[in-house]
Order: sequence, then C-alpha cells, then structure tokens
Amino acid sequence: MKIDHSLPLEYSTEENKLKILGFWIFLGAEIVLFSTLFAVYFTLQGNFADGPSASQIFELTPVMIETILLLTSSFTIGLGIHAMRIGSKKAMMTFFGITLLLGLGFLGVEITEFVTYVHEGATMQTSAFLSGLFTLLGTHGAHVTFGLLWGGAILYQVKKRGLTPETANKSFIFSLYWHFLDVVWIFIFSFVYLKGMM
Amino acid sequence: MKRLFPVPHVIGFASSLLLSLIALVVIKFDLTFAMGMTILGVTALVQAGLQLFLFMHVSENEDKKTLFTNIGYALFVGLVTIFGTLFAMMWGYNMG
Repeated sequence: MKIDHSLPLEYSTEENKLKILGFWIFLGAEIVLFSTLFAVYFTLQGNFADGPSASQIFELTPVMIETILLLTSSFTIGLGIHAMRIGSKKAMMTFFGITLLLGLGFLGVEITEFVTYVHEGATMQTSAFLSGLFTLLGTHGAHVTFGLLWGGAILYQVKKRGLTPETANKSFIFSLYWHFLDVVWIFIFSFVYLKGMM
Repeated sequence: MKRLFPVPHVIGFASSLLLSLIALVVIKFDLTFAMGMTILGVTALVQAGLQLFLFMHVSENEDKKTLFTNIGYALFVGLVTIFGTLFAMMWGYNMG
C-alpha cells in the first residue's frame, strides 16, 4: 500500500481517496432519498383529517434544543477532524465523544417529542399529514441512531489502533455522514417546523 | 488548546447559530408566505453551504469535478422530485 505523506492520513492512499469519493456518491443518493420524503410531506401536510394540524402540535422549545444540539455536534466533529489532522489522538477522541453525546441528547429530545405527540392523539395512523411527518422525522432519527452506533465503533477502533490511514479514513467518512445529517436537519427545522408554525 | 479551535470553524459555528435565530423571524413576525419562504430558503441554503464547504471540506478533494457533478446531479434529481411532485399533486391539480 503506497502512502502519500504529503496528504492528510485519510486521503493518503489510493484506496482511501476512492472510499471518500464513494461516500460522497452515497450522500448523493441520500439527498435524493430525503427529497422524496420532503416531497411526500409537502404534498400531505394539509391533510390532517380529524387530527391536529402542524401549528397545533409543533412547539418551538424542543425544536430549538434539537437544533442547537445538532449544530453543536456538527461543530465538535469538525474540531475532531481538525484535531486528527494535527495528529492529536486524544483531542480527536474527546471531540468525537462529545459529538456522540450531543447526538444522543438530540435523540432523547426527539423521542420525548414523539411520545408527547402520541399522548396528544397525534400518531402515525391519525392523518396523512402525521404519516408524512413521522416518516420524514423518523428516517432522519434512524440515521442519527445508526450514526451513534457507527461513531461508537469508530471511536473503539481509534482507541485500539491509533490514528492510521485506515482509522483516519473511517473517521473522516463518518464526519461527512454526520455533517450531512445536520444539513438534513436544517431543512427539517426550516421547512417542516418553522414553516408549520408560521 | 487554542490550536484545537481553528478560527474558521468557530466563526462557522457562530454563523450557523445566528442563521437559525434569524430564521425565527418567520414565526415571530406576521410575514407574507412568500416573504417567509424566501427567508427560510436563504438561511437554510447558507447554512448548508457552510457545512459543505467549511466542515465537509468538499473542495479539497482531488476528484473535485466528479464530486461536484455528482452532488449537483443529486440536487437536480431531488429538486425535480420535490417540485415535480408539488406541481403534479398540488399546483397543477388545483388548476383543474
């Protein structure tokens, strides 16, 4: 395996470069996946049958907490990659750990929010609006959940093997995934929640 | 400690928080639908751009051209899906 030392570790071999490119192509497919779910939500959002409408169930406080948690986690994982590039394994692991904790916090608030909706009689079966809403939010939440497991596995590998071209590549790819989830959330925050409360 | 917090990242983070707060004007003030959507569109796109260029380092990749073509194509398919659906299911339908 040829290692190019002029590049950051995560790009240092041909295989690493291809894996990063491949992951970007995967993110392209994810963009399309979330677009279909947004399209469904926008189409169905006015059909709330006997159930509540968007403005009746959305609450600003939990949504702002979720937004701040996710934006901060995106910042800390960015710092984690920066720390990785200056070769500080300890700082990198700390930032990745903080990122995962913030992600866990996000998930906790989101689950509480879902439970509140269900208690208010707003379930996935109540109306087309709620089916679309839960599908969109749930798919994003499932991605975050998967990210927590994936990120945890990467932290374990970095701890065991240190920063190698392989672990650095995995960590960088994970950071792309995490930032992408933040981008999707920004659109959910803007075009689902804020638009629904307008 | 300081070298662990590069200035562009800190500024990027502060900007993304600020943009989220700016977006709140759509619910705090009684704006028209078009005005509200414009504000949300601009704040969301700037934030997405921040993530893409600052945090995801999209432009440092050697295969930049392939990468931009792919992301551009994905965004094209995504937007056609969203606006095509709205056109077929909502706007066009209502026009009769």
